[in-house]
Order: sequence, then C-alpha cells, then structure tokens
Amino acid sequence: MAFKDNRDFIEALSKTGDVVPIKQEIDWDLEVGAIVRKANERREAAPFFEKIKDYPDGFRIFGSPLATERRLAVSMGLSPDSTGLLRNIQEEYERRVRSRIKPVVVSKASCKENVLVGDDVDLFLFPAPMIHEGDGGRYLGSWHMVITRDLDSDWVNWGMYRLMVYNRRILTSICESYSHLHAIKAKYEYQKKPMPVAIAIGADPISSFAAATQLGIGRSEADFASALRQEPVELIKCETNDLFVPAHAEIVLEGELVQGTKIAEGPFGEYTGYRSNPRERQIAYKINAITYRNNPIVTMSCMGMPVDDSAIVVGLTTQSAIKRHLQRHGVPVTNVYVPPETGSYLVIVGVKPNYCNTASVIANTIFSTSRATFKVIIVDADVDVFDLNQVLHAFATKCHPVRGIRVSDREASTQLTPYLSADEKKWRKGASVAFDCTWPFEWSKESEVPVRISFEEAYPEEVKQKVTQNWTTYGFRRS
Amino acid sequence: MRKEYDTFVDKLSDLVEKGEVELTIRDLTLGQHKYESRYVRAILSSSIDQLPGGDVLWIRFTMGFLHPKPWAIKITAELGEYQP
Repeated sequence: MAFKDNRDFIEALSKTGDVVPIKQEIDWDLEVGAIVRKANERREAAPFFEKIKDYPDGFRIFGSPLATERRLAVSMGLSPDSTGLLRNIQEEYERRVRSRIKPVVVSKASCKENVLVGDDVDLFLFPAPMIHEGDGGRYLGSWHMVITRDLDSDWVNWGMYRLMVYNRRILTSICESYSHLHAIKAKYEYQKKPMPVAIAIGADPISSFAAATQLGIGRSEADFASALRQEPVELIKCETNDLFVPAHAEIVLEGELVQGTKIAEGPFGEYTGYRSNPRERQIAYKINAITYRNNPIVTMSCMGMPVDDSAIVVGLTTQSAIKRHLQRHGVPVTNVYVPPETGSYLVIVGVKPNYCNTASVIANTIFSTSRATFKVIIVDADVDVFDLNQVLHAFATKCHPVRGIRVSDREASTQLTPYLSADEKKWRKGASVAFDCTWPFEWSKESEVPVRISFEEAYPEEVKQKVTQNWTTYGFRRS
Repeated sequence: MRKEYDTFVDKLSDLVEKGEVELTIRDLTLGQHKYESRYVRAILSSSIDQLPGGDVLWIRFTMGFLHPKPWAIKITAELGEYQP
C-alpha cells in the first residue's frame, strides 16, 4: 500500500533504520545543511530535525528523503534489504509506470489545517534552511513541487525547480529554456496573462519523486505518481486559484508569476556537485496564500557532490526513459545505467550490435532528446552496465582513441553545467561526446575480435566445475 | 549596535563610494527573518571609519565567495521590494 503522506513514510523509514530523528536543537542556518550533506556523503540514514533554532516546537525539517537506494525502495513499498536492489527497483519501476491510474479529488485534507492569506503571508514562517555557505538565500524549495497548468490544454505540470526565499512574499527560481515550466510560462507571457502557481512541500514521497522526473510535454506527473504508487494520489483545490495540490502535503504556497521583471536569485550549490552559475535575475513568484498542516515538516535536499536525492531519482528515471526510447527506435539495447555518482551527466548503454555504427545511432538517439545527459559510454552486451569496474575496463581496452570517440559541439545545454564557460552558460551552448566501447560489427569473430580472458570465459565447463568444487580443498578460505 | 547586511557584486569596482547607489541587500539580523532581501538607495564606504553612523555591509561575489573585509552602508531610502 502506498504512503498517504510524508509522515507515514518517515515512520516506515524508522522501522527499517533509514531515518535518524534528531531531538537536540539544530540551527537552520548552515548546521542543518552540513548534517544532511555529511549524511549523504556517507550514505547514512535521513536526518529528521525535530527542534529548529528560532522556530516553535513542532516545526521540523526532513533531510534528503530519497538520497539512497534503500529509501527509494521503502518509498515504493519494496524491501531495502533485497539483493540486487538497484535492478529490483528498476524492474518494479518499469512495470508500474506502464499502468494508468488517475488521481482523485478530495474535499477535505490535512494541508488545510492552517490558512494564511494576503498580508498574513510570511515565507519566513517556515524554517527554510540556508543550505550551503555562499548560497544566495534560504531555499524553501529544494525537494518539493511547482505546479502549473498549460494555457491551451488540461495539462498540469509538476516540476522541481529550486525556490529561494527573497522576502516574505516572494520566491525566486530558475527556469531552464528546455523545461516544461518554460514552455508553459511562455504562453502566459505571450498572451500577457497572469500565470497561477502552486507549490507543495512535503507531499508523499512518490509525488515528490514524480515532480523530480521529466516526462514528455503534455504528460501528467500526477497520473505518473498514481501509477508508481499503484494508488491514486489525492488532490485538493487551492484556496486562491484553480490549481490542485497533493492533499496531504505539509505546506502549500499559492501565488502567481511576477510579470515583467526578474529578481535576484542564487547562487546555489547544485546536483552537479558545484555552485556553478552566478547570482542573476531570474523568474519570481508572489505568494498570495499559504496553507499548512499542524506541526509542518519542511522537506529538503542538500544538493552537492553526488549522491543525493536528485541523483537517485533522476538516474533511475533517466535510464528507464533512455532504455524505452532506444527500444522504440529498434536499438538492440540490453540495459542502461545512469550512475548516480555522475549527476546524470553520463549514461552507460549496453547493446548487442546487429549493424555497423550502432554506437552512433545510440548517441544520435539520446542526444536528440536529452538536455541533461551529455556523455554516453556504449558497451557490448557481455559487459554489465551496472558494474563500473567492467565498464571502466571496456572503456580502457575497447574504445579507440580516435575512431571510438564521437564529439558534437553544437548541443543545447543547461546553465548549471560546470565545465561550460560563462558565455556558453549564458547562451546554453553545450557539447556531447560518445565513447564507443564495442567491437566493430564488421570485425571477424573468428580472426579479429579479441578473446576476453576471464575464469568464466577462458576455460571449459568441466575444468571450471572441478576447480570450483575443489576450491577450499586447495587451501582457499572462501568458497 | 550596528546592523549587518550583505550584497552580491561581480567585482569590487562595481561598488561606488561617491554619492548614492541603488542596490539589493540582505538583512543579516539574527532570527527568523535573517537573509530577507530589500532594494535600497544607500551611501557606501570601503571603510567603516569613514562613514559615521553607518552599518556593516559584507560583500559577496556573484558565485558566493565572501570578501574578507566588510564595507559600510548608510541606507537613505527604501526603494521597494526589488530592483525594477
């Protein structure tokens, strides 16, 4: 059964040992961020801060809800202790998202326990953390969802775009030109109409997961979340606009896009592991109403050197999306892996080539749609894409330094990409590279393809069996 | 007791010491509203001693680095929530 809300999820994590309740008073100003960061880097349990400096009892912060595969497994109702956890999660994820389940609308919900409107709105009411030293402000939105509706259709988009508290009523945010938010916003701006927005903080874990993914234009993340939960998400209407939000979110902010100007935002330490784009004037929202649960819990992610929530969630969804995309294009793909350590910038594709230059086809297919993955390693089917040692070996021994590397310097990119120059970031000018670590299809299997030498491949079955059976009798300790 | 603020600049030479300037500052007063931003007109000085009655202005560069030596600021007008 899916978790109704964030609180049920925290309780489940406490049973599996994947949350650490911290009862001593912690400072929202950097101390919270430092604890979450260290926990992420050590792959520890999620910190749950129960007493925050300057804030009343009951106002809490939950750090990095999905920053480990274990917590992601728990969020999906899977055992975090199973072997092959990552494969299990991926298989279950791919099975569930094929189903179609619609959200349902409810008339009463816990997110309405407190309502503030107009001049009573004060974003500093909540303990938004100053996450990293040098950030441009306190980020109330680092693990949340921004909800907007397309002007020409019923499409409602959930996205996770960072949100900085500028003052009591204004949040500033970034809006990449390839994002769905940008596509929706452009229509409102073109027609000079105010764009309503709702922001939900601390929704159930799968709804937040859904907001962090990028589905196709027109696809509903609420439907996607319902499918992944295997139960409908409960939604409730906002107080001051016609948008619907997850009914059991901890905090809901209702407002609209500030029109005609941009306001200072950032810098901010990001999922790439760097603070790489400067303070700039970016889009902003004016908040007109706040609703929240009693004793609200702010959810946050402490982005930085991977692995954190974004790396886990975006890695899983990106690899599944790329696998599906390649299969639809007839590529004989065996599996796809986006290592969370790479911040989704690198994808490894396993393939069983059945024509020449399969690697080029893969690269073209991925780079024609992705705006966040710029490096691809293509390996033969006998390399386990999830085993980075095998991948590294294939890269070192099979990728020709000239004809094995395919570079394109005319890709669209993001302003957050660390290795781009200031000018490239400004204009979102990127590049991509593919490393072909497969044997050329035209090489003769009998006379040209090198023979891999390993225990499994270099000996007859009877010899392997004999050696394995007698292993400990030779004097080795482990069978 | 002097209040403390900070502001973000591309480079130190963006800050002007003669006359008034308009800039976005963050209020560093401890408590729930720390880091709230305002858009103000102010007189600046690179030395606290040369701006009697001035408050402390820390300088950060746009990538977040803190300049080690604070400036001084005397706010002469509130210009609204943000830079138009």
